[in-house]
Amino acid sequence: MESWYIMIYKNKEEITYPYLTKPVEVYTMPSGHKIVLAHKEGGLVNISTWVKTGSVNEDDNINGISHFLEHLMFKGTHKHKAGEFDKTLEAYGAIVNAATWKDYTFYYVTLPKGPNNKYFNEAIELHADMMLDPLLPEDELGEPFEFGKTEPSQKRERLVVIEEIRMRKDQPFTRVYNALNNAMYTKHPYKRDVIGTPEIIASIPQSVVMDYYKKFYTPNNMTTVVVGEFDSEKVLEKVAREFDFKDRLNYVIAEKEPDIPHKSMQYVELKGQLNTGFMMFGYLGPKADDLKSVVALDIVNMVLGDGVSSRLYQRLIENAEEKIFNHVSSDCYQFRDGGNFLIDANFDPNKKEKALTLLKGELENILKEEISSEELTKAKKKLKVAYASTSETVSDIADNIGFYMTVLGDLKPASEYLDITEKITAQEVLNIARNYLDLNKLTVSVMLPE
Amino acid sequence: MEKILLNNNVNLIFKSAKNTPRVALTCFVNIDKQESVPGIYSILNRLFLQGTKKRTAEQIAYEIEKNGLDFYSEMKSDYWKFSLLCLKEDFEVAVEILADIMQNSTLENFEKEVVKFKGETLASLDSPTVLARDKFVEALYKEHQYGHSSVVILENIDKILPSDVWDAYNTVFKPAEKVFSVVGDIDKNEVQSVLEKHFVELSSTKRQSSIDSAKLDEKRIVKIVKDDANQAQIYQGWFVPGIKSKESAALSVLNTILGSSGLSSRLFLELRDKKGLAYTVRSMYTKARHNSDFRVYIATEPKNIKVSLEGFKIEIDKLKSELVSDKELFDAKNNIIGKIQFITETNLQQSSTFGSYEMEELGYDYLEKWLEEIKSVTSKDIMEITQKYFNDNYVLAILAPEKYLSEV
Repeated sequence: MESWYIMIYKNKEEITYPYLTKPVEVYTMPSGHKIVLAHKEGGLVNISTWVKTGSVNEDDNINGISHFLEHLMFKGTHKHKAGEFDKTLEAYGAIVNAATWKDYTFYYVTLPKGPNNKYFNEAIELHADMMLDPLLPEDELGEPFEFGKTEPSQKRERLVVIEEIRMRKDQPFTRVYNALNNAMYTKHPYKRDVIGTPEIIASIPQSVVMDYYKKFYTPNNMTTVVVGEFDSEKVLEKVAREFDFKDRLNYVIAEKEPDIPHKSMQYVELKGQLNTGFMMFGYLGPKADDLKSVVALDIVNMVLGDGVSSRLYQRLIENAEEKIFNHVSSDCYQFRDGGNFLIDANFDPNKKEKALTLLKGELENILKEEISSEELTKAKKKLKVAYASTSETVSDIADNIGFYMTVLGDLKPASEYLDITEKITAQEVLNIARNYLDLNKLTVSVMLPE
Repeated sequence: MEKILLNNNVNLIFKSAKNTPRVALTCFVNIDKQESVPGIYSILNRLFLQGTKKRTAEQIAYEIEKNGLDFYSEMKSDYWKFSLLCLKEDFEVAVEILADIMQNSTLENFEKEVVKFKGETLASLDSPTVLARDKFVEALYKEHQYGHSSVVILENIDKILPSDVWDAYNTVFKPAEKVFSVVGDIDKNEVQSVLEKHFVELSSTKRQSSIDSAKLDEKRIVKIVKDDANQAQIYQGWFVPGIKSKESAALSVLNTILGSSGLSSRLFLELRDKKGLAYTVRSMYTKARHNSDFRVYIATEPKNIKVSLEGFKIEIDKLKSELVSDKELFDAKNNIIGKIQFITETNLQQSSTFGSYEMEELGYDYLEKWLEEIKSVTSKDIMEITQKYFNDNYVLAILAPEKYLSEV
């Protein structure tokens, strides 16, 4: 006889996933909630729930609410008071945490399964309870106050998040990135810093945070990923039972128009008490589901600025005629409504103009002609190995699956990515690079000593 | 897991790990003599990648990345450590490159690497957290090699000559005791034959270390002025016994209870959750061969310096005067036992862990013995080590705007 859950899940897909020994199972429940089970040998399991909301769903009045809510989700439920979740699971050796980014917020527990899966089962119960029944108690938030004008009567979680904001203000690259990010976009919500401002965090009422939770934490916006070595049927049954959404209604998040790149180069400059200069170049990139463009820019990233054999490192550091750069590398970020291609550098602040000219010159070179076949082969190998490296721990596997399920809404692109990488040509890479990396579309952010 | 003596007298620790995508290799090279000028060993470490008799620096970089290898060369407190990660089919290529780097290095580009080091270090010291930690370490260990912080090396680096680096290579690195550790889905005989084929010139000799321990018999306070800092960075630390001591297990349990166990440690609950003083607050038990230390750290709004230091004191005094409950002790031990699986989850973590235990003469399989020691820790042990080591001989390093430092 089949178990009850088999009768009630709406859809099941089995998807081959690179470097895993069994296909990943993706279940869509009638509520819209998705449950993904991935097999990875070993004694550790990872349970995570990914919610399709982050700073993308914020405006100037509630900037930072997604991240603030993430903190407050740990502050107790009707069944478990604040701190019980962490205390119980950490006593089993668990790592418990959460993260908020532009397109998503996710909550995870990684822990040993324990005798007869005791820890594993308890973690699923506690995790589901936290996700479905947060109280966001007023006394844990602390009373609202006017930042910089009044002293808070209770120093609780609002102050913790304000300290996190302070911490980020002391990180030069974070400041340079935030200024770049703000200048790169014109109207898209990606423009805002995910963590928000101290003024908003100090004053936002509990009811607004709770309303935000109720609006976005709906079954259709949540994916629960479980990775480890376990009996899939039993785990599916357990997760499905614990994630009982009852009559919670779904909320469909409206699509947002991607931003249009600037028509001429943008430049912002900051000052700080520094020894060295910090610089970031940024471009608006393809949407995360435009896999071919994503792969092409990942290849450009590998050739241009990933690792010590990259063009930027070899030409501007190892074989530089004049010592200007202390660090230079590139990176790609993937977002649902359009990612970023970034270059970050640390340099001698007395040589800012030369640093700018050299970086722009390397960008022009990459757009001038096809990368060599050796560079293409090396980049493809590195991307393949990078994929293998994200299949080594239950946490990395869960993070990758969660990303694809939440940002692209589908896991199949995870393996398609490697197929496209294998087939893409240097000419295709060049065409796509020319489309996105035109110097007129560039934004530059620089931070210099005062 | 087993230990094999290779024909070049180097011990190989090998563990098979089926169905894992990449093979990990770690090589430890012992440091048994203090460097004569701060920074010699760090520069030597950098020069390994600057060319061999067969390859230029550019060729080394290209071949590592062309073969998709993850390669790290690190200068640790007590040894140089080389780590490699590769797909199984690239294992011999990877070993050949590593062997070339370790055996045939020409130590070229000295001046260039010194300039690069200076630039990179200045950049890293633009982070207030890094700067505060660096000054803390310098004050804690003073002239001892462990006190050769980035700032100290920067102050001394121009005194280093290329001949100093060659001398370190010939008299410390080459004859030093070495250990290989390999974990992956790969045949043991293949590993052994590939290592013996390519490491023909490598030697390994166990020698008596001439490095002494550092002493801390006073209170040292270091103030670092940074007027635009949004947060004060505070480190406080004491010398404590290291991994070979019987008290090491109790210190590990104490660390878990006080501030290393994620969201439920005492410092986290009291200073972050209840008082809202910080986003980051924690304790660390840093183990090395000649000295180990126990640190507490907080980053907080500068006006909270005093209340944070009082918070540290209250929590430490509580541990000195009140026995930890059976439940808290049991949970802390269980946390450590569970975390063992995290530090040995990947092949690289395993090869690194097993190899370091072997290097420290604890035995590659020390992990199991250590767990037994953890299980035997009592509440009384925790109280006794806290009373014994958390005294007035400590180092306190605080970075903040000047006006907030006067009250310390």
